Amino acid sequence: MTCHELDERLDDWVDGALAGAEAQAVESHLAGCAACRERERQLRQLLAHAAALPRSLAPQRDLWPGIAERIERGSAWSAWASWHTLGIAAAALVLGLAAFLWNDAGPRAVRTVAMPVASPSLRAVADTAVSDPVLAAAAREYEAAASALLEALQRRRGVLPPEDLARVEANLQVIDRALEEVRQALVKDPASPELNRMLVATHRKKVDVLRRVVRLSTAL
Amino acid sequence: MEGLAGVASGEVLILMSEDHDRRAAEMRLVRAAQQGDLLAFERLYRDNERKVFGLCFRLSSDPALAEELTQEVFVRAWRKLSSFRGDSAFSSWLYPLTLNVARSEHRSRARRDARVVATEDPERLERTPRPPAPEAGFDLEKAIAALPKGARAVFVLHDVEGRTHEEIAALLAIAPGTSKAQLFRARRLLREALVS
Repeated sequence: MTCHELDERLDDWVDGALAGAEAQAVESHLAGCAACRERERQLRQLLAHAAALPRSLAPQRDLWPGIAERIERGSAWSAWASWHTLGIAAAALVLGLAAFLWNDAGPRAVRTVAMPVASPSLRAVADTAVSDPVLAAAAREYEAAASALLEALQRRRGVLPPEDLARVEANLQVIDRALEEVRQALVKDPASPELNRMLVATHRKKVDVLRRVVRLSTAL
Repeated sequence: MEGLAGVASGEVLILMSEDHDRRAAEMRLVRAAQQGDLLAFERLYRDNERKVFGLCFRLSSDPALAEELTQEVFVRAWRKLSSFRGDSAFSSWLYPLTLNVARSEHRSRARRDARVVATEDPERLERTPRPPAPEAGFDLEKAIAALPKGARAVFVLHDVEGRTHEEIAALLAIAPGTSKAQLFRARRLLREALVS
């Protein structure tokens, strides 16, 4: 084997792609040729260097705001369209809850829709009353998501027009009152599967509303 | 020996369990993002931005362009997210998307350049002017950046990212033999840069 022939097979050799007689020929040539051994050393050094390069690199700036802006710009129209359904959705939710509680607990429960929001300690006690562990976990996750979204919304309060902000807050108060209503009912009847599901569904509705508002606010 | 084997298999189980948990958490984020949750998508972005940017940077050899490409990858990912079924990791799903974005950007950039430069020498469009550094302070990143586009892409995918020629052929829509030829060309150029 000549040095030129070895050079043509050197990549396959270091990649371990040669076998049998070809591999033996390369091996014996390398044993007797210092120049080719040096080429082999350089190639292995190069490959070791390449394999050691980090696959992950951090960009110099935060690229997310630009990505979010382009995404929101693309969905701004649909966000605007759904904006006008928020009030209807919240109203429908409260009507549904009222109907359920009227049938379940009588007129007194419906009157409590106007109750002030309960203290955090009462809320914690009420949510631990959820008997289904899966639903209880889901309720906790929704609560955590709602808190994060509220924080995000709080940071963007200045972006939303005051009248829209007022509508959002009114809708959230409606949902919070509905949540409180279910929590109160759960304290009395923690095993009720309907109340368990109702609590989680109401949490989900709150998160959905918040998500849409935050998305809209970032599109403005 | 049995004890050691038991420890090893236990560690493997822990790793498998951690991987399973990570994939499950990732899938929850994907499902939320598919429902329009931008915060969940941001988490997916944060988990994958460095890999995507790293690949874009090595394929484009231009930090500013790599930033643009990374943004384009995630905007397209958002639009195509409904097609992600969770058969693979989210990062695996992003990989061909990243390559497509980088390649389509290169094609459009080459078309733009072709309108303003003489094209008697078509190879010119593939060459970058920066000379590589000598071995004493050998800068492999710069040397990779100086490679012709096709050879650079295959070298990055094979020798940096660890992909096989078959995978590269599928990702770049070329024959495995072409991938091999481009790799050997890249290595030869880099070896020359190493000793120059």
